[in-house]
Amino acid sequence: MTDRASQRTLDAGEPPVEHRSRLRTTFETVRRNRLAVIGGVVLTALAVVALFADAIAPYTINEVDVANRLAPPSTTYPFGTDELGRDVFSRVIIASRVSLRVGFIAVGLALVIGVPIGLIAGYFGRTIDSILMRAMDVLFSFPAILLAIAILAALGSGITNAMLAIGIVYTPIFARITRGSVLSVRESVFVTAARSLGATDARIIRTHILPNVLAPIIVQASLSLAFAILAEAALSFLGLGVQPPAPAWGRMLNEAQGFLASAPWMAIFPGVAILLTVMAFNFLGDGLRDALDPQQRSVIESRGITA
Amino acid sequence: MTAPAPRPTADRVLTVDDLRVSFGTRTGVARVVNGISYHVDRGETLAIVGESGSGKSVSALSLLQLLPTPPARVEGIATFDGRDLLSLSEGGIRAIRGNRVAMIFQDPMTSLNPVRTIGRQLMEPIELHLGLRGDAARGRAIDLLQTVGIPSPERRIDDYPHQFSGGMRQRVMIAIGISCEPDLLIADEATTALDVTTQAQIVEEMESLQSRLGMALVWITHDLGVVAGIADRVMVLYGGRIMEEAAVSELYAQRRHPYTRGLLESLPTPGVDRPHRLTAIPGLPPNPSRMPPGCPFEPRCPHAVERCATERPQYRSPVPGHRVACHFEPEELYG
Repeated sequence: MTDRASQRTLDAGEPPVEHRSRLRTTFETVRRNRLAVIGGVVLTALAVVALFADAIAPYTINEVDVANRLAPPSTTYPFGTDELGRDVFSRVIIASRVSLRVGFIAVGLALVIGVPIGLIAGYFGRTIDSILMRAMDVLFSFPAILLAIAILAALGSGITNAMLAIGIVYTPIFARITRGSVLSVRESVFVTAARSLGATDARIIRTHILPNVLAPIIVQASLSLAFAILAEAALSFLGLGVQPPAPAWGRMLNEAQGFLASAPWMAIFPGVAILLTVMAFNFLGDGLRDALDPQQRSVIESRGITA
Repeated sequence: MTAPAPRPTADRVLTVDDLRVSFGTRTGVARVVNGISYHVDRGETLAIVGESGSGKSVSALSLLQLLPTPPARVEGIATFDGRDLLSLSEGGIRAIRGNRVAMIFQDPMTSLNPVRTIGRQLMEPIELHLGLRGDAARGRAIDLLQTVGIPSPERRIDDYPHQFSGGMRQRVMIAIGISCEPDLLIADEATTALDVTTQAQIVEEMESLQSRLGMALVWITHDLGVVAGIADRVMVLYGGRIMEEAAVSELYAQRRHPYTRGLLESLPTPGVDRPHRLTAIPGLPPNPSRMPPGCPFEPRCPHAVERCATERPQYRSPVPGHRVACHFEPEELYG
């Protein structure tokens, strides 16, 4: 059992199917990857922090202490204070909610739109494939962050629109990955066998194709979470995402711009928070990929999209 | 024998008339099946024999509209239960697939979905066609596994395909094939991927199921050894045409077509101590994009004369039920 698991990471030529309790081997393989474990631990901690942010944060986001403006980190203010005398620590903690929420909802949106498009394009092929995938190519042809900015410019800024914009930007990635996997699964004998039994196309897609293409989608989702969070930070930094006074890591970086020399902690702590979160998702995603889908090189990696 | 619901009273299950299948390719039209006509009766086993590329699998897939069209182009008539299978609507053919006509594929390793349990795959046609749900469907699935000889089926039903051996998986495929008690079961190289002992068991299993359910069986294979054991009638396919068709005993006793002779002579005979090497048929099957105008076997035939290259031989029936597409009588060829 354990031998099998360790072998799987090395043996990239193995077909993507087969498996003896797949969940279990996946878990084992991920567990053996130290970086993936670190990523998982960091994310779990982050999730706990986000869930209990109100209880953990010593101050509320708008509590000002004018006398202690731009105060360096101390026991009262662990991460220091900003130009209005607000506690940076509390704001970083509460902002974790925004980041995670934007990440999950945006990626969820991309999944919900992109995966069905990929399934339909890949399964039916021909004209419908060309139409759908050319539409995806159009979205793909813009630099990711530029497209998000353009969408926000059209819809107006705000956190809901930011999630929508990021979701749209990442849709083609999921559509492509799904379609690619469907193309190979579609030719399987078991798909022809299912058709020979009288199954409808919808049923074949749902019960025979989808479960067999999940692995690369899961991997991509975890990697995309990292980029979605980065994208949200970038948009908020530009003032297009979360609106003041609500805290967001990107927004806080923006506000810290004028004080980099006098109060570097205003930028350092939200920056570190972004770094940790993004790295954790990447580590976990890479670990999952080694376990589930060793042959897949992520589209993002090859295109070098980073917000 | 289980009594099937009201089914056709006529003995003829399937009549295929002038079936033609071609594929449009970039380099031209590949004519893979070139006008084959045959029939299968209730309770009968028809073996379709031929080497790779003879059109045997394609002709079977075309019957259930399983070929993607385009690039495939299917012509002809296949009468089943008074209707033409080839011109049925998508919904019409779907109601027949797996229900009245079922198919078993060659490779049991790939014809089951690796991520679904045996039970869920077995229940698929049962739910689709018999309308059974939940425990009823599960019960029937367990019965079927029992029928095809899977030990402790109530436990194995929740296993995944990789937990089964090749022979067991093929039994599962057979169970899926017979789940709705079809009138016609098409086995496309169903035992080819199995080792010889397993092969024999599966053949035996199929024969007993056939006599119990009274279904017609079309057995597609390139293995003439299996044919002798299971078939009632044999049809030899070459270049998308029927070269010879006869009852199995008749064919083995009186092989008339040079191709049939070549096929049988390239088989090793157990128990016979032959010092000479096995004979092989020289050459390759014809390219489906450039079919010879005369007899398709002419380029490889040791007895070919000029006429064979230009004139397509018509069927002759030396004995009732035996037809052969060759210009010559066997006496003329083999003395």
